[in-house]
Amino acid sequence: MISADLNIILPEIILSAFAMLGLMAAVYTTKDKMAGALVWATAALFVVLAAWIGLTGEGTQTAFNGMFNDDGFARFAKITILLSAAAVLVMSEGYMRARGILRFEYPMLVALSAVGMMMMVSAGDLMALYMGLELQSLALYVVASLRRDSVKSTEAGLKYFVLGALSSGLLLYGASLVYGYAGTTLFSGIITTAQSGETSLGLLFGLVFLISGMAFKVSAVPFHMWTPDVYEGAPTPITAFFATAPKVAAMGLFARVLHDGFGQAVGDWQQIVALLSVLSMFLGAVAAIGQTNIKRLMAFSSIAHMGYALMGLAAGTVLGVQAMLVYMAIYVTMNVGTFAFIMLMQKDGVPVTDISSLNLYARQNPGRALSMLVLLFSLAGVPPMLGFFGKLYVLRAAYEAGLVWLAVLGVIASVIGAYYYLRIVFYMYFGEEQSDTLDTGGSSLLAGFLIASALIMVVGVAGMFGVEGAAQAAAATLVN
Amino acid sequence: MSLFFIVALPFLGALLPGLMNGAGRAACAGVTFTVSLAAFLGLMTNLPSVLAGEVVMARVDWMPVLGLNFTLMLDGLGFFFAMLILGIGLLIIAYARHYLARGDNMGEFFTYLLLFQGAMVGIVLSDNILLLLVFWELTSLSSFLLIGYWKHLPEGRQGARMALTVTGMGGLAMIGGMLILGQIVGSYDLSVILQNRELIQADPMYVPALILILLGCFTKSAQFPFHFWLPHAMAAPTPVSAYLHSATMVKAGIFLMARMWPVLSGTPEWFVIVTSAGLITMVLGALIAIFKHDLKALLAFSTVSHLGLITMLLGTGTAFGAMAAVFHILNHATFKAALFMSAGIVDHETHTRDIRRLGGLRTLMPITFGIVTIAALSMAGIPFLNGFLSKEMMLEETTHTTLFGIWWLVPALATFGSLLSAAYCFRLIGHTFLGPVRDNYPSKPHDPGFGLWGPPAFLVVLVVVIGVAPFLAEPFVKLVTASLLGGEAEVPKAYFKIWHGLVPALFMSVAAVVGGLLLMGVFKPLLRVWESTPRPEAKVIFEGLIEAAAALARRFIHTLHNGAFTRYAMIGSVAIIALGLHAWSTGTVGAPTRDPQSASVVAIAGWAMLVAATGGLVVMHRNRLLSLILIGIVGLMVSIGFVFLSAPDLAMTQFTVEVVTIILLLLALNFLPNRTPIESTVLRRVRDAGVAVAGGLATFALAYHYLLRDAVSTPISEFHLANSYKGGGGTNVVNVILVDFRGFDTYGEIIVLGIAALLIYALTETLLSGPVRARLLNRLPDQPRAGDMHPMMMVVLTRVIMPVVLMVGFYIFLRGHNEPGGGFIAGLIVSIAVVMQYMASGFAWTSSRLRYPYHGVIGAGVLIAGFTGIGSWFVGKPFLTSDFTYVRIPPFEKFELATAALFDLGVFLAVVGAVMLSLESFSRLAHRAQDKDSEHPMDIDPSRDDPPEDQPKPVTEGV
Repeated sequence: MISADLNIILPEIILSAFAMLGLMAAVYTTKDKMAGALVWATAALFVVLAAWIGLTGEGTQTAFNGMFNDDGFARFAKITILLSAAAVLVMSEGYMRARGILRFEYPMLVALSAVGMMMMVSAGDLMALYMGLELQSLALYVVASLRRDSVKSTEAGLKYFVLGALSSGLLLYGASLVYGYAGTTLFSGIITTAQSGETSLGLLFGLVFLISGMAFKVSAVPFHMWTPDVYEGAPTPITAFFATAPKVAAMGLFARVLHDGFGQAVGDWQQIVALLSVLSMFLGAVAAIGQTNIKRLMAFSSIAHMGYALMGLAAGTVLGVQAMLVYMAIYVTMNVGTFAFIMLMQKDGVPVTDISSLNLYARQNPGRALSMLVLLFSLAGVPPMLGFFGKLYVLRAAYEAGLVWLAVLGVIASVIGAYYYLRIVFYMYFGEEQSDTLDTGGSSLLAGFLIASALIMVVGVAGMFGVEGAAQAAAATLVN
Repeated sequence: MSLFFIVALPFLGALLPGLMNGAGRAACAGVTFTVSLAAFLGLMTNLPSVLAGEVVMARVDWMPVLGLNFTLMLDGLGFFFAMLILGIGLLIIAYARHYLARGDNMGEFFTYLLLFQGAMVGIVLSDNILLLLVFWELTSLSSFLLIGYWKHLPEGRQGARMALTVTGMGGLAMIGGMLILGQIVGSYDLSVILQNRELIQADPMYVPALILILLGCFTKSAQFPFHFWLPHAMAAPTPVSAYLHSATMVKAGIFLMARMWPVLSGTPEWFVIVTSAGLITMVLGALIAIFKHDLKALLAFSTVSHLGLITMLLGTGTAFGAMAAVFHILNHATFKAALFMSAGIVDHETHTRDIRRLGGLRTLMPITFGIVTIAALSMAGIPFLNGFLSKEMMLEETTHTTLFGIWWLVPALATFGSLLSAAYCFRLIGHTFLGPVRDNYPSKPHDPGFGLWGPPAFLVVLVVVIGVAPFLAEPFVKLVTASLLGGEAEVPKAYFKIWHGLVPALFMSVAAVVGGLLLMGVFKPLLRVWESTPRPEAKVIFEGLIEAAAALARRFIHTLHNGAFTRYAMIGSVAIIALGLHAWSTGTVGAPTRDPQSASVVAIAGWAMLVAATGGLVVMHRNRLLSLILIGIVGLMVSIGFVFLSAPDLAMTQFTVEVVTIILLLLALNFLPNRTPIESTVLRRVRDAGVAVAGGLATFALAYHYLLRDAVSTPISEFHLANSYKGGGGTNVVNVILVDFRGFDTYGEIIVLGIAALLIYALTETLLSGPVRARLLNRLPDQPRAGDMHPMMMVVLTRVIMPVVLMVGFYIFLRGHNEPGGGFIAGLIVSIAVVMQYMASGFAWTSSRLRYPYHGVIGAGVLIAGFTGIGSWFVGKPFLTSDFTYVRIPPFEKFELATAALFDLGVFLAVVGAVMLSLESFSRLAHRAQDKDSEHPMDIDPSRDDPPEDQPKPVTEGV
């Protein structure tokens, strides 16, 4: 009985044990000197776990009386989370070492947050949800202010923490209301109470507060305020991490709650999620126009992208969830490449984040410029890059669910958003002459990630490496 | 040849020139030419079926979920465009081979060119509109690379930027339109969509779809108001301009309008939008073209003008107009490509494109002169050249077109446009080739080799052949028209003839040519007028708009994200309140199920005190000590509230926690200034107050609502009430929950509590051993300290009270299982007793009497609780299963012994340890290192002889 349960959460157990053992080992031995090895070990473990989950997992199993689900949806999200986290970890090692901020706590915190994320996407109960969410968040709060000697980083971390705590409180309040008016914390129980059209006010308030709390985690407008500051303040590898795995986890959790818990009351949350989606898309698109710092720009870009993912969710259909999953998988891949590029942006070994430093970058380094061009086109959703198919998926899902206005607004937002992506392309190819140029060297590992990501954006259009089918199967297990 | 091969060939072939870059220029161009030729021949193999009126299809499923399939279709229209693209492409490749300078990277150029060619062929052969979109944007991308090919030209930058921005955004808008269209029909296959005219035009989403699709077409084909980007993109190498900006890419928008003609045209919306945009573009483009001095700019604006003409013809929505459009596309492609290539020749030979520096080239470059003259005259609409034929058809069509109810508007404007068009054609010939020979050409001009003039010459031959013998082109044009019309209208019977008799179109045509000649006669004064007239420059407007939008966005975001946490919190709060309102207005509120209780005097008094304390706190919050006291009152009132609501356990916990917290805050206050300075403006405080009041009201409404309604299901307390005694052996449900039902949680909690305390300890230790210590030591109190640090009264009192409090704690602990109390509360009470000693008798005095370190106390608590849990394993029960029994030891009464009590002891110890450790850590910060450990408990002791010591001086060194 208990051993069967434990068997289901074995990947999480292994990862937690690894994190704790790694922490202890580093504390009692060589501390930060071990950090590099720990980063690689953690990334390797992530990859192994992802492969394991992908190859062995089948069917739908639940553990601990339904508190923990192991289904296609969870597995899809977990593989995305683990692989992207592994990629970001590997990318960050050299960068952080060069700047003396490679601490042994970093990989361990990432591992712990990954456990939290895996828990989030598997949650079948409000308590499991909260545990996963907090484990993830607490690790992220610390990681956000890892650069303790920087005022900006610390301030960003503090803002993130306080707002995050606020949103957690809100989420808890919502959870307790849901419990009070559904009589259970199990999603499978809530769904029988929450029926469309006759939702009691208590349940509805609970739902609204739950959504607000989760919107904070995915940084959907108007709960996004922390995002630009944290993205700008945190060291770039950390920003890359923030922009990838946690977003997938939070979207996965969002989908879990809405479909597993409130799948019969789509009408009650559809409008709210659609509103969050529209606000995010537009604010992200409009705000990024005026940005000169590429990290801040990417923050707004991620807000806009979350808007599109939420559009898939707002559809409230199998296609919608599938679209969201496909979108997130593509989004994460693009972001890994883009952040690899940002980490390569250096002048005499010092990181540069000003967009104008990219002037005529194509002349200096045509290969990387071309890769970035592909990524930027993909981020903008221009066919035939993979990013376009992601957008197409969510737009179709929204359209077929009857949210025509949402789809049309989404297209308009993407037109506005295209401007700032194309602006970077413009700088790289037709910018002004400038005397001091970016370094051409840099880590070949980062360049490799950049090129691989760009290649995927091009080659992936033929069949998407099977992600499409996997996402469909995953979505089918969630929506019923 | 299969359609797949025709589309795939340029893409696959694009690799070759890049790979063969090292093999020489001829090899590079040769392989490109071969690839294009293969595709062209492949297309020609399908000619018989197209002529037979068949539609050749090829299909492979790509992403069926999205409705995106790799479906290709070849009908007359597609064949026509594909032929133009591949045919002119061949000529351009031959031309570019000789045009590009030795230093240019030819492999790169041809790679981009083939990519572009493949994308264009893809557009015209796509049967799936999503596939079409993919190719559509691919042309934008590859054209961007082609325009940027000459990276060293600064003027090219602006052009490339605008081209990319305008066409890119237009393409994205079109995606929306295509999605809507596909959704209306239920299929993304063009062959299906084209059958559903009625369905589409009846749909309410028709107009949005139309506008979005037209946005894509207009941006791509440079129609008003997006006409400005095309001339600026002309900084690209001439072969690129000739290919992209006259023959192919800009025709993509036209193609799409023609493709969608059967389903989109014929409605008033289509007619008004397309016709007027076309007309304006036609006249405006021609007008600007006259006064351009750059050969390529002149040709660029003339292209804009002709595209407008074609658009206008498509806009009329008649079969005759469509046929005229098809014919003009063919004619325009021939003469305009020839003109561009010739302009390139002039540029290549004379090293300038400025008309003012040219003139008299007739004798120096006779071949070029011949080509340009024929092509330009055709463009001007001179008989026996193909341009005349289609222009006449256009004028004929305009006489039947009434826009905005004014019958003469369209014909007059069309004639005027033709007039201007004739004028710039004459200027092109006259000012470049005629006139006196100059002696100051930047380079000595002469005719180039056949490689350069051959391709335009071939096109000019076509111009003449079609012009003289229009019946040769007639069947083909009619075939294309038939497939354009898609069965929605009959192909017109009209015959292609040079002489139609004295029809109105002839007079208009004559008027245009004569007027054009006259205009050239007064060109000089006109130019002066033109140059002195202020006119809106579209490029400046565009950039101004973009800049204004960017500035607006920047301002908006800086207001929103000003970095202040308060603003972020405010936005979050407002959003939550708004969402709550939304929930309130959409949910089923229902009638109250409980009656409100009547308020007793005590409750009202308590409420009044709570309100007074809270209000006072808001008013006086700048005085920190006062606000601390008021917070204490608020906490106290909350505890009393719990008592009033019959929750003694909660009340006791709240009360003790309150005391501990206040002490903690008092310690922290030691390091802070007395008052909070005023930093906010009155306006902001008012605004914040508004948000706060709204939040308060919302919370009140919510609480009020819930208090008057029962929860839907049975509360969990029922279960606990029923099982508390049976299962846990205690009648105090709260305590039984803590130590039994949710013992595991409690066990986790005491561990967390311990860790938190250890963390506080570690943090303060780090602080004390760091540079902060010196600052702390040097800190001067901002108020004079009382001479009597440890007042006798207080010392005596706390020591007397100590055993009493300990006794109370013990009592509370013991009764916990059945009556309000328990380990947690007892722990807090004991902690308070000890803290009082610290406060009254001083840190040194107390800590010297401390026998066990607090770390150990925490550890002991956790271990006791843990072992209690493990104990249940020995009797084969799960971890933390509790048991109880009753024993009787004379002379006591019978009493209960529960394992839960042992667990509670663990809780008790952990709480004491954790609270004390954190308080001690904080007070260590305040405790001055130089304070000598006083051996006396009191500073002033009447029974002692030695006087109190003076205040010690602060030390300066950082230890």
